[in-house]
Amino acid sequence: MKFRLERDVLADAVAWTARTLPSRPTVPVLAGLRLDASDGTVTFSSFDYEVSGRVSVEGEVADPGTALISGKLLADIARSLPAKPVEFSADSSKVVITCGSARFTLVTLPVEEYPELPQLPSASGTVDGTTFAEAVGQVAVAAGRDDMLPTLTGIRIEIDGETVTLGATDRYRLAVREITWNPVRPDLTGVALVPARTLVDAAKTLASAGDVTLALGGESDDSLIGLAGGGRHTTSRLIDGEWVPNYRRLFPTEIATVARIEIDSLVDSVKRVALVAERNTPVRLAFGDGQLVLEAGSGEDAQASEALPAQVDGPGIATGFNPSYLLDGLQALGTPFVHMSFTDTPMKPVVIQGIDSLEGEPSSGYRYLAMPIRLSS
Amino acid sequence: MNGASDAAGMADMVGTAGMTSTTSASNANRGNGTSVWDAVVGQPIVPALQQTVADASASLDGAPSGSMTHAWLFTGPPGSGRSVAAKAFAAALQCDSGGCGTCAECTDVRNGTHPDVAALVTEGLSIKISQVRELVPKAALRPARGRWQIVIVEDADRLGEDAADALLLSVEEPPDRTVWMLCAPTAEDIAPTIRSRCRVVQLRTPPSDAVATYLSTTEGIDKRTATFAARAAQGHIGRARALATDENARSRREEVLKLPFALDDLRQCLDAAASLVDAAKADAERHCDALDAREVDELKRALGAESTGRKPRNMDAAVKELEREQKLRRTRVQRDSIDRALIDVLALYRDVLMLQLGVRTELINDEMRASLDRLARNSRAESTLRRMEAIGQAREALMANAAPLLTLESMALTLREG
Ligand SMILES: [Zn+2]
Repeated sequence: MKFRLERDVLADAVAWTARTLPSRPTVPVLAGLRLDASDGTVTFSSFDYEVSGRVSVEGEVADPGTALISGKLLADIARSLPAKPVEFSADSSKVVITCGSARFTLVTLPVEEYPELPQLPSASGTVDGTTFAEAVGQVAVAAGRDDMLPTLTGIRIEIDGETVTLGATDRYRLAVREITWNPVRPDLTGVALVPARTLVDAAKTLASAGDVTLALGGESDDSLIGLAGGGRHTTSRLIDGEWVPNYRRLFPTEIATVARIEIDSLVDSVKRVALVAERNTPVRLAFGDGQLVLEAGSGEDAQASEALPAQVDGPGIATGFNPSYLLDGLQALGTPFVHMSFTDTPMKPVVIQGIDSLEGEPSSGYRYLAMPIRLSS
Repeated sequence: MNGASDAAGMADMVGTAGMTSTTSASNANRGNGTSVWDAVVGQPIVPALQQTVADASASLDGAPSGSMTHAWLFTGPPGSGRSVAAKAFAAALQCDSGGCGTCAECTDVRNGTHPDVAALVTEGLSIKISQVRELVPKAALRPARGRWQIVIVEDADRLGEDAADALLLSVEEPPDRTVWMLCAPTAEDIAPTIRSRCRVVQLRTPPSDAVATYLSTTEGIDKRTATFAARAAQGHIGRARALATDENARSRREEVLKLPFALDDLRQCLDAAASLVDAAKADAERHCDALDAREVDELKRALGAESTGRKPRNMDAAVKELEREQKLRRTRVQRDSIDRALIDVLALYRDVLMLQLGVRTELINDEMRASLDRLARNSRAESTLRRMEAIGQAREALMANAAPLLTLESMALTLREG
């Protein structure tokens, strides 16, 4: 095997495929990165039985072939190279990398012991990479982090024709984002539950690729999800089992009070007030009379209170929230103002949506629901 | 690999460290039979499991699930092959033809590289809650190859209360395609909350002739050696394999069986205890040294140690972690080695007791009949029973991590007094 690549192309390709490699592999060969050179294309692949990554780049291939070498070490080397063409040449026991005056020799691992990468399931459609990454990031804030409740650590992807709905919840909050996309068929439907950590990482690293293909497969190949864009392919195992059934009903339909507030000052206030809130105690919010009053803490020594201008439509309402849940939602909106809607009881959840002006109506397709904490009177 | 009480054959015992499965060529190629069930020796329950595999397969095509269920508990005495049976069942469920033993599914399950079969093996005295935390998310995955997502817990009797609680939710309500397989000596070793969710597969100690036949047909061992090994191992397959194939194991056993004849004074008792401990250490060295070195070597190589021009980062930490697991494994190998010796001594006294009681039965140590007769004439059945009890107590103490030398010294003194 012998080929030559531009340094930046190499560094990008290797950094991306090596990012999922374990520092302590369960089987030694899984620490490897597989190189395949043929016909003007060099492909780098990694696989750990749960996530696979593959990227193909153009290169001058003098001698086609395959080799498996330590992935983390290669990534380290690729980062350190000068901006010059990089030449790989391999025999049966080692790969020699030369770049300018730098020269490295890597021992090859037994490629015949390396597991075969899963095929990308059949494509479901394409979505703008930046939009998708933003949407995934917005819902991921609500995903559970407790591995003992695996279904809640996933992001649910639901396809219904031209709409993709992403959702995540840890039972205390629920984030949902709808985006439009280009399905391969207008009547396409499908559902997949993807480990949130994996999906966030994949979406983020494919964001700059322009169009990203989502591949949920059909009846015969729906056991994995695939994402592809810009020459990069990744597959991930799916989480099985029941997610929150009929989650849409959790969004209240009867809205009594709506508050519109500037996000940056609200975030700052919540952070300041939360400083005196003990762990797991709420920040109290009282809406009414053109303002929002935030309070936290109990007893004389540790109390905090602040007031912010707010446009409040409907009867005044006072309720309490876990401050970090509130902040997660506010910071995921990506708009200058927030639209908070309440029912007529402080026991029902608040729904947080982004708006562009104090007069605006929500339109971004992102909704963040947070359960209130009961206030002791 | 069934606890300190389970004197498994070394070849079985030293295959893995922690969750890490390191496949050696000798391990990888063991299944040269025509079916994964060939390795499940002398178990009348196999046809029922095969029926379940057929039901399970039909249920994938939409038929009712029949005898298939989501949680199984494999029980049986040490050496009956609980984890072997669980793995055969796992392979048969993943295989398109019910466990052919040769396809990719069967091979991957046997080698521990099947993406849809996770196994928790413990070298420690108890399963840590962190190990359960790693396992539960795997049980929630949809099978990558489309059939079943299988999670095997060997030594499930080593689940502490917390670890069992952590496991419970997942065993109670697994996804449709998830199958739990727990292994333990008896159903009573498992918390009732979990036990009640499981269908029990009760294995028995395989009869000696079944073990002998297995050794000669599957492993190509001559009939005489196979018969001797099967009898001496008292139905423990791994032990029988070791006795049949390993000269060291045979001579070690002969040494151990001299022990009851050399307990005349205090000095001899202390020497006997010390020699058991030393032999166990030697055993562990013989079986772990090369394996440990190879595992470290393979890991270093995989992380790029032999490369030139740049030093791999974080390699030392990974190697340290591996070495920690290897140390645990070595401790377990030593403990199991002592236990195996005690089982052999116990069997000798059992033979003596049979002679004293005049029971006509096959002696486990038939080739020593003359010396056994002498021992039987020179003591009474009550003393033999007390000696057997002392051995049993020593085994229990060692299993609970008592200091080996002290425990064995005290046992040897009781054996002397009778
Ligand atoms: Zn098969």
